[in-house]
Amino acid sequence: MNFTLHIWRQENAQAQGRFETYKVSGISPECSFLEMLDILNEQLINDNIAHPVCFDNDCREGICGMCGLYINGRPHGNDDGITTCQLHMRKFNDGDEIWIEPWRAKAFPIVRDLVVDRSAFDKIIQAGGYISVTTGGVPDANATPVPKRLADMAMDAAECIGCGACVAACKNASAMLFVGAKVAHLAMLPQGQAEAHERVKKMVCRMDELGFGSCTNTYACEAECPKQIKRQNIARLNREWIKQLFAGNHKPE
Amino acid sequence: MDNNKIIKISSITKKLLVALFASFLLIFLLFHMTANLFILAKDGGDAYSAFCHFMGTNVFVKVFEVVLFGCLILHLCLASYLWFQNRRNRPVGYHKPSRTKTGKGSKLMMITGSLLLVCLIFHFYDFYFVKLNFVKGTYMVKTEDFMVSDPSMEVSEEAQQTFMQLINEGKTSKDMQWIREISDEQRDVLQAAFPEAEFEPDFYHMARQKFSVWHIVLCYLLFFAVVGIHIRHGFQSAFQTFGLNHYKYSRLIEILGVVYTWVVILGFAIVPLGVFLGL
Amino acid sequence: MLDSKIPAGPLSEKWTNYKTSQKLVNPANKRKLDIIVVGTGLAGASAAASLGALGFNVDIFCIQDSPRRAHSIAAQGGINAAKNYQNDGDSVERLFRDTIKGGDYRAREANVYRLAEVSGDIIDQCVAQGVPFARDYSGLLDNRSFGGAQVSRTFYARGQTGQQLLLGAYGALSREIERGSVRLHQRCEMEELVLLKDKDGKERARGIIVRNLVSGKLERYSAHAVVLATGGYGNVYFLSTNAMNSNGSAAWICHRKGAYFANPCYVQIHPTCIPVHGDYQSKLTLMSESLRNDGRIWVPKKKEDAEALRAGKMKANDIAEEDRDYYLERRYPAFGNLVPRDVASRAAKERCDAGYGVGSTGLAVFLDFSDAIKRLGKNVVEQKYGNLFQMYQKIVDENPYETPMMIYPAVHYTMGGLWVDYELQTTIPGLFAAGEANFSDHGANRLGASALMQGLADGYFVLPYTLQNYLADQITVGHIPTDTPEFDEAEKSVRQREERLMNIKGDKTVDHFHKALGRIMWELVGMSRNEASLTKALTMIDELEKDFWQHVRVPGNIESFNPEMEKAMRLADYFELAHLITTDALHRKESCGGHFRTESQTEDGETKRDDENFMYVAAWQYQGYKQPETLHKEPLNYEHIKIATRNYKN
Repeated sequence: MNFTLHIWRQENAQAQGRFETYKVSGISPECSFLEMLDILNEQLINDNIAHPVCFDNDCREGICGMCGLYINGRPHGNDDGITTCQLHMRKFNDGDEIWIEPWRAKAFPIVRDLVVDRSAFDKIIQAGGYISVTTGGVPDANATPVPKRLADMAMDAAECIGCGACVAACKNASAMLFVGAKVAHLAMLPQGQAEAHERVKKMVCRMDELGFGSCTNTYACEAECPKQIKRQNIARLNREWIKQLFAGNHKPE
Repeated sequence: MDNNKIIKISSITKKLLVALFASFLLIFLLFHMTANLFILAKDGGDAYSAFCHFMGTNVFVKVFEVVLFGCLILHLCLASYLWFQNRRNRPVGYHKPSRTKTGKGSKLMMITGSLLLVCLIFHFYDFYFVKLNFVKGTYMVKTEDFMVSDPSMEVSEEAQQTFMQLINEGKTSKDMQWIREISDEQRDVLQAAFPEAEFEPDFYHMARQKFSVWHIVLCYLLFFAVVGIHIRHGFQSAFQTFGLNHYKYSRLIEILGVVYTWVVILGFAIVPLGVFLGL
Repeated sequence: MLDSKIPAGPLSEKWTNYKTSQKLVNPANKRKLDIIVVGTGLAGASAAASLGALGFNVDIFCIQDSPRRAHSIAAQGGINAAKNYQNDGDSVERLFRDTIKGGDYRAREANVYRLAEVSGDIIDQCVAQGVPFARDYSGLLDNRSFGGAQVSRTFYARGQTGQQLLLGAYGALSREIERGSVRLHQRCEMEELVLLKDKDGKERARGIIVRNLVSGKLERYSAHAVVLATGGYGNVYFLSTNAMNSNGSAAWICHRKGAYFANPCYVQIHPTCIPVHGDYQSKLTLMSESLRNDGRIWVPKKKEDAEALRAGKMKANDIAEEDRDYYLERRYPAFGNLVPRDVASRAAKERCDAGYGVGSTGLAVFLDFSDAIKRLGKNVVEQKYGNLFQMYQKIVDENPYETPMMIYPAVHYTMGGLWVDYELQTTIPGLFAAGEANFSDHGANRLGASALMQGLADGYFVLPYTLQNYLADQITVGHIPTDTPEFDEAEKSVRQREERLMNIKGDKTVDHFHKALGRIMWELVGMSRNEASLTKALTMIDELEKDFWQHVRVPGNIESFNPEMEKAMRLADYFELAHLITTDALHRKESCGGHFRTESQTEDGETKRDDENFMYVAAWQYQGYKQPETLHKEPLNYEHIKIATRNYKN
């Protein structure tokens, strides 16, 4: 198969970016999208045409969340429930023009070419996306039964890989699905109850500070999430937020 | 983190307020629509006028009116603020337009919302501003307001003629309690003679008049279509924002939203259509 | 002489004894001590979180954009723990014995026992962190069984156990970062280890040089101890189940600085991976071992059927039940499809080499779920393995509910690594290694669901104790400056290496050489090895390395975001590492676990150990570039366990 690629090239965060056009040919339909880019890079180095295209990738099996390209108007390309590394060239037609862009959001500045800095997600988690236990001194794992239904729903939410496709897809560059997934995961488990109010408060405030937009319930995030995390998690986030609004703080004497 | 920072209104709280104000408006729409249906009643407007009289004079309704306008203004101010803020979160846009499979509703909220505001101004011009005396319209008044208790009072010739003309033309309600379809000139004459008389806008006849013109009917139908698009997304969106969405009943909310939207649109649309077609 | 510092006393009391007699650091002094942790996988993140919580100053480094990307995240199946929740006869002792036996009696008894001992605590810890393990309708934890065990002791979170455990550790780490006890350095790769002499003239690990991958600049960090948790070196084979960025360089850098490298030839080949489909392929995808719980592995009984399948003239479902050879069930009736990984991998290779392989390349066997679907119903199978099936379908474009999956072995895990003593300290004082980066717990073969157990055991429950024991006499050292000649020298050597690579300006890409190296390693130092293949490999590796240093092209600049530069630096180390793997494989003339020497096999093709001559850990000492390394032997003394031939037949 042959393709014409229009790829966003940008030397570093400050530089002016532009689209460059490259052609690749003889690509097998079984080839993955990133392998196709590998072939392109091999070609760019061998022919000494340009610096190879930089793109983030690591596990190449859809779990690490490192890869993320905006391909022909869709984060992770034109298939549902996959990451970019799981996209295969058989999903394209021979001769297609493919536009490849980085995630665009104020909170995700570009590092180089298609690589963006997603450390804003880490900062949101650092604000409170965990249960504050130190190592040791915890009860037996079976001491608190968790209804299977809740454990399963918590797992559904916990599957988030932090790739940022939700932000990339959202017209407001909102991170509500990412935050919602973590808040919902921990809110559904008995272990997460103790600091539920504090958690949602801190995470949402951090999210706002970092320059993510607000949710206007478009659900583009849900449509593009490679792990198909549901909008109901955002509803739960809102619910947890309301609970926290009415909970009031403990004021020491 | 210190608590002062947290007090500053978060994006979710703003969204909650937008949804809260919108919910008031959604409830109001149902009332408004139900009331409108009386226009189609075959009683020459008695029921509708009685209702309008109640709405125009009751204290609670007046308070509610203030709240409602507050909601409307806050809803659109906050929503526009969020919209402007959200646009700042992606300084460089995508070259390729989004091909994500989502409903269009939410993306159109700002457009439909702005359109609604324009329509609303025209709608107010047609009806509501008459009540505020900003524009002239058609009026009604209680017959008893013309009962002259003071025999020494002089009633001008012109006023007497006008009054008689109205009676002769049969512009009274069946029980003779109301005189209606009073034009603004007639009102001015009568008001000068009877300073105590309380004229109210005759919405029934105003509506009947306007809806007999085809292009006004068309405009209103378009207006309702925009309302439909706006609340089709807004209804379930409000539930989502209030956190009232769950795997168990998200389907139910979706259906409720569709039902509500159609009920409201059809309920509104049937009135101008009905009047125009002479139902 | 290697001192493994195993505490005295009966096996079951060693760890308790150690903990009660070790030295501690008081809370006020912990603040004065700096620790560097390299790597944010299960071992690194859990260690940094635990050490930070204790009050130490921790700097943690990862090469990816976030600590959550570490390749522990890709572990699918589960984590072992001797909880005996299923009442099926599990115990610490049994987990210990299974692990030793699974490792083909090449692991250190005391370490393995400690691992089994703390395994239960790991589960408690993770549940408290909110890891959503699978549960049954009672609300209690569910278990599944894994290869090499006759009990169900594996805890799991769908097919994403590694992800959930890592996110648990990442949460704990994030909490410490927020508290300020841990500082996170993303997109930083360790390029050099800095050793400083203390006042007694003893060299200790005191700092590292890292390349900031965004700017390409070198940065210096100092600490009182360095923990290496950088994973394994499976990518030396180019195609493996490891992530693209997983590499062995950090460990190799430490090896160059004097840390012994132990058992490098023990490489685990995982039996259930998606077969290779083309030469542009960049990595192999693992299908969880848990699939072997319900899936049955087979090839056609008749060669002509296999040929027809390869030519595409037949489909798997066309082959009648009686013409299928369920070779694992046939050869190993007691364990059937659940034999350990090395056994299952070799059995697949044996069938394919004999001409019964399927798939277009003939290098694949079937993993069939039709019986399971018949027995349990499609829904149950979907619940258990749905996401794995979906993953398979995405990659291969075939529906595994209808046609059997095709699988083939692939490089997965490296049991070898930096030699560490009981305290997880390497031969360099102050340098510790945890998780896959060390060699300690799995012997010659790792059992499924034990890697997660080991990584977390090291990080949560071992290092926080043993590091304190080391640091207790470091409290008077004070902060270590980085503007010393040793740091200058280290930084200079890294820069020189980078410049040397950059200045070759050859005509071949890094990947070209990496693929060539991978092919040599897979063909000659892969699933089965012999003297001839290994000797040949040594020369081929050397030739390729020479070619590399003459003809590689690294585009771009040193001081910029330059992934090709990163890859070239890693590959340069892989050549040396590949050489050592091969040397080690050549010297170990026996077969054991993942190391299969064709010269040493039983009549029916099983591994044949030579306990008399090879019951030791081979720890290699670096002697300079291209110099033969010195072998040190740590004898393995089995005091507790009775040594036997591994038998999964009955």
